[in-house]
Amino acid sequence: MNKAIIAKEFTEIVRDGRAIVLFGIVGLLLLLGLVTGFSTESTRSQTVFDAKVADAEVFNAQGAKNPHSAAHFSRMAHKPVAPFSAFDPGVSAYVGQVVWLEGHYRNPAMFRAAEDATELGRLENFSLAGVLILIIPLLVILLGYGSIAKEREQGTLRQIISSGTSLRSLLLGKFITVFSISFAFLVFSIVLAAVTSLFVFEASSQPLTDLFLRSVSLLFVYGLYTAFVTATTLFISAIVQEAKNSLLILLGLWTVMVVSLPRLSASIAEKVYPSPQSSEFWEAMDVRLSENRLDSSSAEYVAAERVVIERAFGKKLTESEIENLAINTRGVRLEVSEVIDSEIYTAAYAELFKNYANQKNFRRLLSIFSPTIALQHLSQAFSGTDVNAHEHFSNEAERQRNKIVRVLNEELIINDSGENLRYLAPPEFWETVPEFEYEYPALEIAWRQSGADFFIVLAWALFSTVGMFWLGKGRLEV
Amino acid sequence: MRELLLAQNLTKKFKSNSALCDLNLTVRESEILCLLGANGAGKTTTINLFLGFLKPTSGKAFVDGLDVCENLNEVRKKLAYVPEQVSLYPSLTGLENLDYFVKLSLNNRLGKAELQNLLDRVGLNKSAANKRVNGYSKGMRQKVGLAISLAKNAQALLLDEPLSGLDPSAANEFTTILRNLADQGTAVLMATHDLFRAREIADRIGIMKSGSLVKDLSPTSVDQSTLEEIYLQQMRDTELV
Repeated sequence: MNKAIIAKEFTEIVRDGRAIVLFGIVGLLLLLGLVTGFSTESTRSQTVFDAKVADAEVFNAQGAKNPHSAAHFSRMAHKPVAPFSAFDPGVSAYVGQVVWLEGHYRNPAMFRAAEDATELGRLENFSLAGVLILIIPLLVILLGYGSIAKEREQGTLRQIISSGTSLRSLLLGKFITVFSISFAFLVFSIVLAAVTSLFVFEASSQPLTDLFLRSVSLLFVYGLYTAFVTATTLFISAIVQEAKNSLLILLGLWTVMVVSLPRLSASIAEKVYPSPQSSEFWEAMDVRLSENRLDSSSAEYVAAERVVIERAFGKKLTESEIENLAINTRGVRLEVSEVIDSEIYTAAYAELFKNYANQKNFRRLLSIFSPTIALQHLSQAFSGTDVNAHEHFSNEAERQRNKIVRVLNEELIINDSGENLRYLAPPEFWETVPEFEYEYPALEIAWRQSGADFFIVLAWALFSTVGMFWLGKGRLEV
Repeated sequence: MRELLLAQNLTKKFKSNSALCDLNLTVRESEILCLLGANGAGKTTTINLFLGFLKPTSGKAFVDGLDVCENLNEVRKKLAYVPEQVSLYPSLTGLENLDYFVKLSLNNRLGKAELQNLLDRVGLNKSAANKRVNGYSKGMRQKVGLAISLAKNAQALLLDEPLSGLDPSAANEFTTILRNLADQGTAVLMATHDLFRAREIADRIGIMKSGSLVKDLSPTSVDQSTLEEIYLQQMRDTELV
């Protein structure tokens, strides 16, 4: 019975010229989204690659130089293109791509508005994910608004019901038809994005399995979302008497749940948990750093000094051995201040990212009114372009900064003596400074961080589908 | 003979308006009962109650002994229905429409030859059957509707003014098919305004007024003009009321 309903629905769609035009428009928009994302991300990928090579060449070719001067000159940490950034650029446009790994300072990522940029306005990005989130519900609505209402209007519903077909069977057949057409567009988009990622962004060197699992994860959550939209569309179509009213209600819901609420939720979240302005953030940082600066005669400072010296020499040292060492004491002080300041930077950045997490949690709370918000979170998380992924990069860059500065300071501590900074490291030294090799957090971590968003989308999908079938169980006016 | 359609004190009220009041009627196998009556007399409501499209306010409707309200799916398998306007899918051909409704009704598919055979029986030729129904006349649609009912091989056939708008030739073909169906054992309940056809085809003629069956006549006991007189008398009474 269901096969007959599905086959008839497909035949009608194929013969309806308007549906074919609609599919053409949706396909074109998706291709446009892909081309736009691909163009932006391939430029970014090439820029990152070129900049990384140039940075390494310049750093390694600085010749004989004092390590502390080199610490200010230092290196850059370049963020590689995320696994699915051509599909969903997420917050990439609002957070930096490169971190200057300078001595004394944990710099924010550069080439972005400010560290305090939020997810606000992510929908302004014209990307494949943006098109899917906006257009797929619209496609489902246009395919399904008249599913039951039109049958009722033209009288065929009476014929179907009188034939002994249950409303539930009819709804199931129509659900499968509308869902499978929309799902085909999802598969088309995500497979294209994966292929693009695989062949174009080789530099990101994501393992094939990771790419595959990310594709499946994206397909799964977008599929759940599509199931929600399809079930809701059929539900409305079944309870409303006229097809035009069904269309009006569904377009109203689309405007509120897909277009307005996600944007509004970002604005409200920003109001509730305001991000600090860049200048405010750095002023507060300066105050914190000076307040936490230790007196060089304090026990804590002395203990830190000891740790720094032992680490430089790679062994435990007695008091007298330390006293007799010919070391550069300024180099020791520089490294001690790095160790102490790094903790303050870590705490301050953790607070900043906590604020972003609070904004995200608040948006998540609002997704009880619209699963689109939760879907956006999931899409960015599985694409490796959400705030969590950026936090991971930022922390990895900081670890790299600590590593580089330590190598430079220790070169000074060991090879110079006294208070001055006269020592010049040999030209070949620079190549011993470790390179920054960044790997995006595994998909598993994205799943763990997105559990709540996933359950929200799942709950919406289940709730609407059960609601639709519950309606099919009852007696409906024909 | 088996009572395939039975209404027992069937009442349907829409808010304060009574569409049907304590209706009692029976249609046995191989019997055609034609219901006559003015618009709003309760003919369509009676059919809707048998089909389970409406729930009775009180009383019961039975199909082959099964209470309609309690056995809706079973009941619908035993019934076939031809409305006044047979609704079909305009982008499908007559044959495809028939194929679709047959699959829904029988949960099984018939071969193309069997489907065409059904359409031939109702007088829709192959060339017309393979055209999309958006170009069909009302008579052609009614024929497809009747073919759908024939395919179902239902025990009882409910027809709601199926002859309205049909030309005399098409109406004649239609009633001939109905008679054949009844002769094969189907119980037919047909609501109509066509007194001439009713008298020609029916085994019994019921006249409905204000939701009640006020006359139950045998066509053999009345000639055409008497039937017309009785009918008009009832309608005049309605107007006076």
